[in-house]
Amino acid sequence: MNDLSVQFDGVSKRYPHFSLENIHLELPTGSIMGFIGANGAGKSTTIRILMGLVHQDEGSVRVLGHPMPADQAAAKLDIGFVSEDMRLYGAATLAWHMNFMRPIYPRWDQPYADKLAQRFDLKPQQKIKGLSHGQRVKAALLLALARRPRLLVLDEPTTGLDPVARVEVLGELMAALADEERTILFSSHNTLDVEQISDQITFIDRGRIIDSDDKEVFLDRWRRLRLMLPPDVLVPRLPGIVEVGGSGRLPVLTTNRFEPAMVSACNDLGATVQAIDTMTLEEIFVANVHSRRERLTA
Amino acid sequence: MNYSMVKSLILKDWYFQRMSILLALAGGVLSLGIVAFGGQPGFTLGLILLVTVMVMLSAMSVMGNTIGERENQTLAFSMSLPISYLEYTTSKILGNLLIFVPFWLAIVAGCLGLIVVAPPIRGLFAFTVIMAVEILISTCLMIAVALVTESKSWTIAAMVTGNLALNVVGYLVAHIPSIRDGMWSKAIQWSPTATILLTAEFALIALLLGGTFFIQSRKKDFI
Repeated sequence: MNDLSVQFDGVSKRYPHFSLENIHLELPTGSIMGFIGANGAGKSTTIRILMGLVHQDEGSVRVLGHPMPADQAAAKLDIGFVSEDMRLYGAATLAWHMNFMRPIYPRWDQPYADKLAQRFDLKPQQKIKGLSHGQRVKAALLLALARRPRLLVLDEPTTGLDPVARVEVLGELMAALADEERTILFSSHNTLDVEQISDQITFIDRGRIIDSDDKEVFLDRWRRLRLMLPPDVLVPRLPGIVEVGGSGRLPVLTTNRFEPAMVSACNDLGATVQAIDTMTLEEIFVANVHSRRERLTA
Repeated sequence: MNYSMVKSLILKDWYFQRMSILLALAGGVLSLGIVAFGGQPGFTLGLILLVTVMVMLSAMSVMGNTIGERENQTLAFSMSLPISYLEYTTSKILGNLLIFVPFWLAIVAGCLGLIVVAPPIRGLFAFTVIMAVEILISTCLMIAVALVTESKSWTIAAMVTGNLALNVVGYLVAHIPSIRDGMWSKAIQWSPTATILLTAEFALIALLLGGTFFIQSRKKDFI
């Protein structure tokens, strides 16, 4: 059995003003991947290719063992999809949507759907057009979760939600993670949301995957070293330094390959390490993007 | 082809167009009544109303079910269901036709029934059949353009073109000698020309729908 739920191999897609280039992406079964990128980085295009809604120009995509887009109908039977730009039918009620979907999905779980409706404070007889944005996202999430999908694909689901709704949606997602067989791809530009629920992180920028690893590995290997330099001592040139900030005698080095030996290396080169700061996922993402863009323009 | 999924999508489209269908049915019955009992002025007015009601139903169905899916951003929801492009296209073509054709058949049957029971206008039988199929062509054109372009503007342009074509075709058909000569007869006159025209019309429908499937199957971006 293939233990990868999603596998992109050399995938490219070209538009007149944007291209997705040579995407390699692997999502092991049971993992939760946070897919982070700025607006227009290529997250939604990647996800549309994953869903079979857009055909790749090059490369191969397999989702739950199915080649995409050729076998998309079979793959989508096991996928729950919620996207920021996906709307439910405004003229119909949530109950209508549930009745519509129940016969389509063999694993549809009505008691769970009812429980989610209660937890999300949704009234099944209310028309979708009468719901707030937060309620609509919750309704879409309910419909995605109640089909008991093997793969949950969430494209910016928390965008535009108020803090209370965001916490509720993330809370329900975390509850859904209790099922270890369920794989989740969660795309967002909100790193805080991604950090809460993901165990793997992939960064995408300008159509290229720029880094992908376990979340803990990311958090472990990225550090900021605050140095103090005596006069006439230059900023130490160390491997793995991606960004140099700060000012003259008080430089701040950002590294993506931190190890304790770096401190002694700095000392050997005449610098004093004043502090070693851990970085948030947002700081790591921004530093990653900046360093890549600088490399490209250099 | 997953027929049960196609059926679910067609039933969904029927559900969302139920008010349009009911309105068209009421308008159709009213128009037929005017044709039957309105005398000479009612006959002309009723026919105009019938054509208007048919155009209205096809426009509401195509705009609501096909263009509306994109405009209201429900296309992503539909396409997230376990369907392929081909099944989606099939459901949209069949869905729109199954909304329009039963109504169209009922109206055409009503019109032809009135013609058959009224000897002074029996000669209009062939002309009416040809023009009725022309209305079906306009609907198929609108469905094809809506699916292929996914554009409201192009679909409106297709609707306008269909309506203009209806007038042009009506004028041309009424001036074909073998059709024209039979129009004022008190008996039904069916000529080989009528058969040729009808065959050409159905061939055009097949071309429009087949072309739509062909173009849709080559599309690379569905959203």
